[in-house]
Amino acid sequence: MRFEVIKTIYKAALADPKVVFLTGDLGHAHLDDFRKNLPDQYYNVGIAEQNMIGIAAGLALSGHRVFAYSIAPFVTLRCLEQIKVDVCYQNVGVVIIGVAAGYAYSTCGCTHHAIEDIAAMKALPNMKVYSPANSLEARLITEYLIRAPHPAYLRIGKGGEPKAEKEYSLEIGKGLVVKPGKDIVIFATGTIVNEAVVASSILEQHGVSAEVINIHTIKPLDKELIEDRARTKDAVFVLEEHNILGGLGESMARIICESDGSKKPIFRCLGVPDEYNHRAGSHQYMLGCYGLNGESVARQILELYQKT
Amino acid sequence: MTDNNHLVKRAKEIRNLVLDMIFGAKSSHLGCALSIVDILTGLYFGDILNVDPKNPDWENRDRFILSKGHACVALYATLALRGYFPVEKLTEYGTDGTLIGDHNTRGALPGIETTNGSLGHGLPLGIGMALAAKKTRRSSRVFVLVGDGELQEGSNWEALMFAGFHKLDNLVLIIDNNNLETLGPTNQILSLSTLHKKLESFGWDAENISGHIFADIIGQLNISHEKPFALNCHTTKGKGVPFMHNDHIWHGKCPTQEEYKRAKMELNGEAQ
Repeated sequence: MRFEVIKTIYKAALADPKVVFLTGDLGHAHLDDFRKNLPDQYYNVGIAEQNMIGIAAGLALSGHRVFAYSIAPFVTLRCLEQIKVDVCYQNVGVVIIGVAAGYAYSTCGCTHHAIEDIAAMKALPNMKVYSPANSLEARLITEYLIRAPHPAYLRIGKGGEPKAEKEYSLEIGKGLVVKPGKDIVIFATGTIVNEAVVASSILEQHGVSAEVINIHTIKPLDKELIEDRARTKDAVFVLEEHNILGGLGESMARIICESDGSKKPIFRCLGVPDEYNHRAGSHQYMLGCYGLNGESVARQILELYQKT
Repeated sequence: MTDNNHLVKRAKEIRNLVLDMIFGAKSSHLGCALSIVDILTGLYFGDILNVDPKNPDWENRDRFILSKGHACVALYATLALRGYFPVEKLTEYGTDGTLIGDHNTRGALPGIETTNGSLGHGLPLGIGMALAAKKTRRSSRVFVLVGDGELQEGSNWEALMFAGFHKLDNLVLIIDNNNLETLGPTNQILSLSTLHKKLESFGWDAENISGHIFADIIGQLNISHEKPFALNCHTTKGKGVPFMHNDHIWHGKCPTQEEYKRAKMELNGEAQ
């Protein structure tokens, strides 16, 4: 996913000298082309995220379109105040690219896990939050961000995620139906959408038809779609690789609670509980710790849905 | 100094406006604002900044960033007298709904380049602007004014390292070094110690001057460098009002009616 993002920005930078890429000493060989061919549009600012975001905002104030890249927790939380003041308060076109959403760096410990970043980013006025499910979506959103610069957080995986089976388009700010279903709906965001699809297939074998909707734009959120599914489905589930406090689920719960109409569906957030996981293991292992893999998700949904 | 009479006069006008605004609004940070008035006067009235008040967004302008945003009243007054907007606009300060608050906000007034308030943001922003100027082959310079206490923020040292390493010779850091922060003397709270050596070891040229002698301020800022340049200006907090000099209480205190009257008299050289 990160390769697709960098490649897309590189292509844009070749055509437009105003496109600038900053990295906090990460990106490895993916950045070779930038380093070799566009040295005036590429800066490795070193391991100094606060300075990186300030520089990004200063460049943007001077008319550049800037992408600032590092591991998700470092580029969001280490420099949160710079993102607030320099980028969002001044409302300049800086895209923060956070690599390795959720538990993607599963063996690296809590310092490298990103389970608070959505909460921090979505609380900032002017900031928009994008969370693609695969490389194709990462490219499409990046292309959009190049065309329409604004304060943005692009939350991506670290690589090796399942690819999209075929080319498709998406509309920024609108949820995407990945798999139709008539009984219930699972909203998911980021690479964990794949687990929602797995869960839906298992549910189908148990006679539950579960629609899967991919929320690639967390802010602004597709209010209309969420309200529609709250009205028309028996149950709404949210699957996310993030603390259940402050994530996609909470934003959706507010929309549903505030929506008109007497009918309220069953609603559950399936995410990371409010704790740090001190164990290390594969990405799948980490998801399994909190019941966030497809099989566990299906089991939890069956329990909740069949109880009613 | 006689050649600088016009600057002395300007600085006094700015200080009077600062005092009137802060007293009128029952605001604070008076000592901090008075501390930087001579530096601002040198920049805006001493032919240092290449700017056009009638065309404040002119692309090739020099950029000035007030990183110690709590001293912004001095910048508001300076910009007004420099012709960016009518002096009457300053009466909005301290009123409900005003955009002219206690920290400079980009877009609030013509000539304000950046939003500041929380400390340690100005220098990284200035680096971005300095890089942009170099990339587009513009000759403009970027000036960032910080307080000495502000240099305790770690983001400055990330930025100092970057600018020195990249030899950003179009970047100037001005330090308003009055050795006072909110709760007392900087050298007793968290000393900057050998600041000059630190700056040089980070790849900067550095000079120490009085921040109240126009010939030195202007003279130093007119010298071109092959590295980023830090001008460490030794200043007096509350400068211009002797009973406020070097007293950290004037960081956060608003003068009473009596203190205001006394300050005006001291500032304007009238006998009590």
